[in-house]
Amino acid sequence: MSKIITTYEPDNSLKKGYLSIFSEIYNELKKNKWLTYQFFKRDLFALYKQSFIGILWALIIPIVSVGTFIILNRSGVFDIGDINVPYPIYAILGMAFWQLFSAGLVASSNSLVNAGSMIVKINFSKKALVIASTGQSIISFLIQFVLVGILFVYYRITPSIAILWVPLIIIPIMLVTLGLGFILSLLNGVMRDIGNMISILMTFLMFLTPILYAKPKAGILARITEYNPLYYLISGPRDLVLMGKIPELKGFLISSVLSGVVFMVCLVVFHLTETRVAERI
Amino acid sequence: MGKGAVIKVENVSKKYCISLKRSMLYGVRDIARNTLGLSSHSDKLRKDEFWALDDVSFEVKKGETLGIIGPNGAGKTTMLKMLNGIFWPDKGKITVRGRVGALIEVGAGFHPLLTGRENVYINAAILGMTKKEVDEKFNDIIEFAEIGDFIDTPVKFYSSGMYVRLGFAIAIHCEPEILLIDEVLAVGDMNFRTKCYAKMSEILDKGCALVFVSHNMVAMHRVCKRVILLKKGKVIEYGSADSVCNSYSNEMILSATTCPEIRSPVDLSKVIQINSVQILNHKGSPTSDLDMLRSFKVGIEYSVRKPVKNSYIACHIHTPEGIWLVDSCDVDCNPEFLLHREPGCYTAEVTFPGRLFNSGRYYVSIYTAIPMLDLIFDKIGPMVINLHDTGSVTTKSNPRRPTALALELPWKTTKEDNLI
Repeated sequence: MSKIITTYEPDNSLKKGYLSIFSEIYNELKKNKWLTYQFFKRDLFALYKQSFIGILWALIIPIVSVGTFIILNRSGVFDIGDINVPYPIYAILGMAFWQLFSAGLVASSNSLVNAGSMIVKINFSKKALVIASTGQSIISFLIQFVLVGILFVYYRITPSIAILWVPLIIIPIMLVTLGLGFILSLLNGVMRDIGNMISILMTFLMFLTPILYAKPKAGILARITEYNPLYYLISGPRDLVLMGKIPELKGFLISSVLSGVVFMVCLVVFHLTETRVAERI
Repeated sequence: MGKGAVIKVENVSKKYCISLKRSMLYGVRDIARNTLGLSSHSDKLRKDEFWALDDVSFEVKKGETLGIIGPNGAGKTTMLKMLNGIFWPDKGKITVRGRVGALIEVGAGFHPLLTGRENVYINAAILGMTKKEVDEKFNDIIEFAEIGDFIDTPVKFYSSGMYVRLGFAIAIHCEPEILLIDEVLAVGDMNFRTKCYAKMSEILDKGCALVFVSHNMVAMHRVCKRVILLKKGKVIEYGSADSVCNSYSNEMILSATTCPEIRSPVDLSKVIQINSVQILNHKGSPTSDLDMLRSFKVGIEYSVRKPVKNSYIACHIHTPEGIWLVDSCDVDCNPEFLLHREPGCYTAEVTFPGRLFNSGRYYVSIYTAIPMLDLIFDKIGPMVINLHDTGSVTTKSNPRRPTALALELPWKTTKEDNLI
């Protein structure tokens, strides 16, 4: 007789207590590693299958945004500020880190809704689905990094050896993306307004955060940037690649801890409430 | 849990909300309450909620086959989804022991742009198989599905038969200890269906438990030993397949009226109400004794009290064994009614040709409903009709044939003189 015993009853997780939640989550993630990879592969294959330029689409958004900013700057409409490296490198590198967050969050918050018909017919790990959906943004990131490499060669600049730390230093921004992705995918499943809201919010946040322009020195935007964790999570890795150190280390560390907390809280909330989504999606 | 029981359902209830906007609010509120560690008070009904399943209890032992039968909207699929853990009960408790394989819809989760091969791996992973298991069984799956060279073609180019075959092949190779099946065997061609039944009984012989949902009593008899009859979310009867299926069809027969005309009193709470139904013979006079060689009509009068979208009026005909012969809708001929139906009184008439059904007793029911929501506004019937044979060709040549249909089809025979 099989040992797997599953019980379904209302407010199930609460009865077992908060501590058992963590081992439940850990076991579920471990068990579904292969499923997560399959979802990731499916999204990746499917995204570019019926498309001519395929995966190179990942380069279009940063090139267009950066191009627009260069034109605005040259026409004197907008002041990019003081940057001590060629602007395209600064901007494309910033966009690469930024889209880890923005593209990752848009994809993950839509992941449950897009799989709606499957969720009401098959019982599988919804965490695997959300996690896998952020995989595309990592692929885009890698492709954009190749573009950054080409720019380094073009401008004859040698990046700092600290560039090797990039896989580790993007962990905080990935954690905050995943955490928010968990909660927003759930809410989007219940209320479709969330999905639309996120697309608008992302554009707004991109202009609010110094990604395509230098950190302002005075004014209201300077104050906001001071308390904007996203700024530190993006400028930290960028400074590391360009200068080999993180000048605003304190801000980066505080933001990293914050993103770790956001991730854990959101993961637990998702675990407690994911059973609610199938009946409302 | 009783000895050997692999599924135990104790006093389980499930509620749904009929208003989409409220459902959103309730959803957000429940999520918030669960997050804060508060009980969601799911055992109480809020505004616009109703019990889709009400106090259901049963047990399935190892190797046992259980059927769930009942009319549309009785909660059969909801029960199956709860056994699979897709929906969670709002009251009561479900305990499941062993790996569950569920076939609620074949091929759910297929990605149209990916090839059959890619989809096999993804779908198997979704259904809970490990990489090792899929690698081992991949060839069996392909062979069972009879896909052949199409395995490397995107599934959007598959015929519906191939799609279903591949989906079923993956699910059946999961080797579950508990198999949940929701009428998926109604699709696919005869050969493949036979193969599916064979594979199912092979799995059952290994000690797998089966829960099977259907409103086809023939399939139910064939597969299940014990059957539950559900009606409006409640268990009406729970026992051996013979007795439950019999009482289901008896009930249908008992509640049937032999009167050729039914009028119902005005009930203003119904959005669409069927006011009267009449069975008319070929001369237009109301009678339930009809000539099988002649056409007959079913006349319906109904009132629509509010503008309604997506509604239809349907005429169902069943045999006494519960086999569903006809589901004919007014929107088949007037699709504009599916979009919109203005308030007012309507008369509708549907004509059945002569020589369609064999002689015997049949049951006619009239429904008005919204197909997408499983929402039934009103229902009348079943009404009995007796078709009499007044001397067809079939009786001249031999006794009554044991078929439901009595179509006379054109045969063409030619003879050639030279012997082969």
